[in-house]
Parts: sequence; C-alpha cells; structure tokens
Amino acid sequence: MIQKIHNFLLLFVFLPSIALSQQEKGSDYFSIAIQKKAQSYKSEINFKKAQYFFLKEEWDSTLVYSMKQLNSNSDLEIKEYCHYFRGFSLKKKSLYTEALIEFDLINKSFQYYYLVDYNIGHLFHFEKKFKKAILYFLKAETEILNHKDESEIAGLYTNIGICYLHLNQFSKAEFYFKKDALLNPKQITKSVIRSNINIAGLYYEQYKDKQAIYYFKKAYTLSKNIKDFDLKQTAAFNMAVVEENRSNYKKALAYRKEAEDWKDSLNNQNKIWAVADYEKKFAVAQKQKQIKVLEVENKLKNTQRNGFFFAAIGLLLILTGGVYLYGQKVKNTKIIVLQKNKLDELNATKDQLFSIVSHDLRSSVNALKTSNAKLSATLETKNYDELNQLIIQNSTIANGAYSLLDNLLHWAMLQTKQLYFHKESVHLYSVIQQIEYNYKPLILDKAITFENSVSKNIFIFVDLDSLKIILRNLLDNAIKFSDENGTVNFYTQETDPDFCELIIHDNGIGMNENTIKELLQEGEILAKKNNSEIIGTGLGMQLCKQMIKKNSGTIAIESELNKGTKMILTFPKTRTNG
Amino acid sequence: MDNINVLIIEDTPEQSDALIKVLTENNYTVTGVATNFADALKLFYESTVEIIIIDVFLDGKPDGITFAETINIIPNSSKPFVFLTSSQDRQIFERAKLTKPFSFLMKPFNELEILYAIEMAVEKFYAQTNVFMSEEQDTVISNDYLFIKKKNSLKKVALNEILYIEVEERYCNIITEKEKFVIQISLTKISNLLDKNKFVKTHRNTIVNTDKIEEIILADNLIILKGDHKINLSDTYKDFLKKMNILS
Repeated sequence: MIQKIHNFLLLFVFLPSIALSQQEKGSDYFSIAIQKKAQSYKSEINFKKAQYFFLKEEWDSTLVYSMKQLNSNSDLEIKEYCHYFRGFSLKKKSLYTEALIEFDLINKSFQYYYLVDYNIGHLFHFEKKFKKAILYFLKAETEILNHKDESEIAGLYTNIGICYLHLNQFSKAEFYFKKDALLNPKQITKSVIRSNINIAGLYYEQYKDKQAIYYFKKAYTLSKNIKDFDLKQTAAFNMAVVEENRSNYKKALAYRKEAEDWKDSLNNQNKIWAVADYEKKFAVAQKQKQIKVLEVENKLKNTQRNGFFFAAIGLLLILTGGVYLYGQKVKNTKIIVLQKNKLDELNATKDQLFSIVSHDLRSSVNALKTSNAKLSATLETKNYDELNQLIIQNSTIANGAYSLLDNLLHWAMLQTKQLYFHKESVHLYSVIQQIEYNYKPLILDKAITFENSVSKNIFIFVDLDSLKIILRNLLDNAIKFSDENGTVNFYTQETDPDFCELIIHDNGIGMNENTIKELLQEGEILAKKNNSEIIGTGLGMQLCKQMIKKNSGTIAIESELNKGTKMILTFPKTRTNG
Repeated sequence: MDNINVLIIEDTPEQSDALIKVLTENNYTVTGVATNFADALKLFYESTVEIIIIDVFLDGKPDGITFAETINIIPNSSKPFVFLTSSQDRQIFERAKLTKPFSFLMKPFNELEILYAIEMAVEKFYAQTNVFMSEEQDTVISNDYLFIKKKNSLKKVALNEILYIEVEERYCNIITEKEKFVIQISLTKISNLLDKNKFVKTHRNTIVNTDKIEEIILADNLIILKGDHKINLSDTYKDFLKKMNILS
C-alpha cells in the first residue's frame, strides 16, 4: 500500500520536473541568439515574426510565420532556424512524428544542433522509447556542458536520470541524479528540491531507506527556504510518509499537519489571491475612471491646442494675404507710374503739336488778314491785276490752312480710334485724278508738270478716305518741295502679284539721309520743326505712315538732295474673283 | 441713250446748287431736290429715279440714313444711292453701313469725286464691280437698263428698246429702234446678265430680243425684227423656238 503511495508520489513529482527542464531552456542564451539573428535579418519580416511568437510561446502563429518564411526561399541558416521553430512548436502541440520530421530536416552543421538532439531525445522520451531518448540526450551532453548553463545541465541530467529510472536501471539513474549540478547548485531553486525528491524516490524504490530519508530530509530542509507552498506540502508529505513507514507516528502526524497547513495556506493563498484579484479589479476600475478623467482632460487640451493651431494658421494666412496684397499694390503703383510717364510723354507731344499747329494757323490767318487788308486797299485803287494775284494768294493760304486742319482732324480721330475704316476695291487711277483735281490751281501756279501714268486696270483694296488723305499729303509735299517748272509723276510698278507699288516722283529739293530716317522713325513724336519756312509740322507724314500701316501697306523713301524724291508705297491689290 | 435721273436729298441750298451744276454739266438729269425726309419720299415715289444722292444729316438729324433704310425695306423699289457726309463719325457710319450696298462721299468733294461715287454706287448696287473704271468693260446691266459709261458720265438704255445685239470680240453693237451704238462687254458676261427668256442667242454672235420678233422664216433661217431688221438664225440655236408660243 505504502509503496503504491510512493509510486504515485514519485510520478507526481517526475512530470513537473520534465516540464521544468524544458521551460527553462527558452529564456537564456539561445533566445538571445535568435533575437540577434532576427535583428540581423531585418528584411525578413516573417522570420522576425516567427521568432517573436516563438519567444512568446504562441506556437500556432510561430508555425504559420515560419512556414511563410520557408516558402519565401531565404538562406540556409534562416531555414534551419525555421525548421527548428516548427519542430519545437509541433513538439509543444504534441505532434511528435511531425516534429521529428522537422528536426530531421535540420543540417548537422546548424550551430545549435545539440538542441535538436536534445529535443529529439524529448520526443523519444514522450513516446516512451527511453533507450533512444538516452542516446540523443548523451549526444547533446558535451555541447550542453560546454555552455555551462546550470539549469540546462540540470534539465539534461534529470531527463537522462528519468529515462534510466523508467528502464529500471537504478544505478545509472542514481549516477545522473547524483550529479552535482542537480544536488548542490549555487542557487537553491525549485528544481533542486525536485531533484532531491527524485533521488529520494529512487532510493526509496530500491528500499535503500537510509539514503532515501537523507534526501527527503534534504528536500524538506531546502523547501523551507522557498515560497512554493505546493513543493513545501509535497516535501512535508513525503516526510510524513517516511515517518509513517518508520512507524514514528508522532512525527508523521506532525509532518502531515505541516503538509495540511501548507495545503491550507495554499488555499488561503488562493483566497488571498482572489481578494487581491478583486482588489486589483477594483484598482483597475479606479484607474479606468482616472483614465477617463484624463482622457476628458486630454480632449480638452486637444481642442485647446487645435484652437491655437487654427488661430496660428489663420494669422499666417492673413499675414501672407497682406504681404501678397502689398506686393500687388507695389506692382500696381509701378505700372501706374510707368503709365503716367508714358502719358506725360504723350501729353508733351500733344502740347508740342498744339503749339506748332496753333502757330501755323495763327500765321496763316494772320497772312490772310493782312492780305485782305491789302485787298481792300487795292480794290480802292482798282488795280485789277494785283487784285487777281492777291485772291490767288489768299486761296493758297486758305487751302494750306484747310489741309492742315483736315490733317489735324484725321489725326485726332485716328488717335481716339473714332475714324471709320472700311476697305473696298478702289480704282487707283481715278482716285489720283480726283486728288489732282483739287491741286490743279496750285500746279498751274507753280507751272509744274503733273503726270498720272498709273495703269487704269489697277484696283487696290484699301479704305478710300484714308487713301485720299495719304495721296493728298504726298502730292502736297511733292508740290511744296518742287521748284517752279518741276514735274510730279505718279506711276506704278508691278513687283508682286498681290501688291501694287505706287511711286510718287518729284524732282524737287530732295532730302538727306537723316531727314528720311527721321520721317520714317516709328513712334508718335513729331519731327522737330526746322528753321526752314517750308517744312511743316510733320503731322501729314505721321498721318500718312499710320494710314498706310492701317491699310496693310508700306512706305519707303528714296531721295537725293536737289535731285528729287521718290515716295514708294505698296498696297494690297483687290483679289480678282477668277 | 438717255440721261440718268438723279434725285438729290440735301438741305443746304449751296451744296445742292453745286451738285446740280456738276451733274447737269456731266449730262445727268436732276429730277428734284428734297430738303427733308417727307419730301424725299414723295419725290422718290412720284418720279422716275435711277440714282439718289443723300446727305446723311438733314436739319441736324440723320434722316438721310432713315430714308435709305425706308427704301431698302421694299423689295425692287430700292435704287443705287450715295451718302454725303461731312463727319467721319464712327457711329453714323456703323448705322449707314447696314443700308447695303453702301457708298459714301466725304464733304467737301470735287467734281471727279462725285462722278466716281455715283459710278461706284451703280456698280455696287448691281453687284458688278470694277466695270466703269476698267478698260475691258463699260456697261452695267440691270433688269431694266444698260448703264453705259460715256466719257465722264453714265447713260442708260432701256432693255425693252433693244432689238438685237451683235457681238464682235470684246465689243457689242446694240441696235435699238432709234439708234445703234457700241458698248464694251464680253459675250459671256452679257448673255449671263440678260434675261434668258427674253434675250436669246440666234446665232454664234447675235442675241435677239424675242419681244421684237415679227416673223420667223424657217426655210431661209431668217428672223425679221421690228423695223425690218433681218437676222440670221443658225441651226444650233433653234431650240429657243420650242419655248415660244407660236401662232399659225
């Protein structure tokens, strides 16, 4: 009966020791090694995850990620780690055959191959193939000893000892259980007490009561130094059984009581734990409340901060807007200043024009006035010859003034863009005849030979009135700058199928290069009035240039001093329909 | 050939007197001078007028344009006209421009300018531009008249007075009941412009006014016109006979 109880107790003691020997292995140098590995393979996310879950002992996730990592075809070392993870996880999930397959996949060159051996040993142990298990454990032994990790060595020896125990090879089991690492380690841990109990159980089984009691006692004494009630209870209980067998019932009773006490205190502890748990829950609730309050405060802070943020943004926007507007204003002022300068310039031109025109008009009208006075004086003396001359003179003056006014009007209209402009087909010959008609008296007076040799088949596409203004001015100039008995000739040259070249040729005083340049100069600044009496305002020439431009024509001047001038105009021809 | 009748609408007597002088000197007949809008309309409908000279401003109002707009509304009653204006005001022009065909003359103008403007108005009105000034042609053809340029002025010949036309290269001999004269126009142009139902080709170079046919002798290929003009009928051009309602 008692033996049976012992057996039961021994088994009860063995199982946790096996579990213990495995658990401790995950936390030391190996885990540090794989963490380092994971860090050096940062790009392999699956490996990292597998490693993470392996350490967290979440076996399913470890299996999933290590499989993913294996599928993604990484280097050999990572593969081996993955196989190891998988084997270990499968072992943990009690799928021993699959685990064995995974472990077999690992190459012998793997740095921690002894762990593989060790695990395979476990697998055989679980499958109760103890001899094989011992074989693998022994394979792993040398390497494990090299690492000098006491708990690991202890686990290994415990496992080997247990295997021998199962094989009833007590002497060998005793040998392993007696190893120093198990019994007299530097630190007293639960496993030490368990080892002591184990060996005690071993001796007890062999009826070596003396040794057994020694180890039981040792376990019991050691158990006093630790806080595990379960272990204390077991040690005390074992002592009670031992004392009972020795028929020392008093002591047995005392040990029993102690065991009961420990059991109770275990229960008490459970209660305390429950209370502690409750308190913890309460504390958590309290904390939760605090958290909520803090959250609300946080929210408030957030809103406040957001308020500040938006206000800052708003201010910034206003600032940028202000700067932009200021920039615009500066730009506008610049433009306005530029425009003002241009306007001033134009105004100056206009003023100049006005002064010249009014001067001209004033002298014209004045001449007319004096001429009229002379006329009335002559009328009294009835000198008809002189009278006629005076009238002709008057009409010349009036004509001059009229054409000046006409030009002025057209110029003004052109400037204000009020001039009506309508292009149509115009018979050049007829128009020249019409213009010449008005100058007949003047031509006769100066005895100028006028010739219109323009082809009667030329039709040009221009605005009739502006053409008349152009021709009038040019004819006027030609007559003005011709000497008596000179010639003025209008003729055309065919140089382009689309354009007609009209040349107004006089053999008058001509002009030099500078004058030509000045006349053709772009811009609205009028040529300065020279001292010479016969040079006018330049208004007529300006008008001509602008009108020609508006009619899509061009003007060129060829001139030689005292030999004459050629005004060369081009105008677009009317397109004949077929 | 008859003189052309001109109606003058002008409120300044000096201007109209000058116009009348110029026009009569150049063989135009002035049928009347209107000084306001109402008179103008009255004169226009009472008398036969071929050309109107309109002053844009009558008594300070642009009634001249109103008049042109009025006569333009009634189809077939409109006649060629010339606007006279002393202002180049854009607005007035924009309005006047709508009274198509539009021709205008700036005051002051000389004799040559007004004659040119009249000719231009006729050309534009009958849409036969560049005629009078060119050397190839001197006649514009309307539905009722031939307008022929003679020296500086225009003459008219009523189409229904024409008996027949003989074409010689670029010239045409026009034979009316009273007279015979030469105009400058090509055969293709004149045959295109004349009413094809009335004027038919009877020969390669002869166009006959069918209204004036008195007798057709098919046996001799002869057409006898009013005034006993005998015209040859060529076989190629006999087709027109089918269109005619012939008694007998």
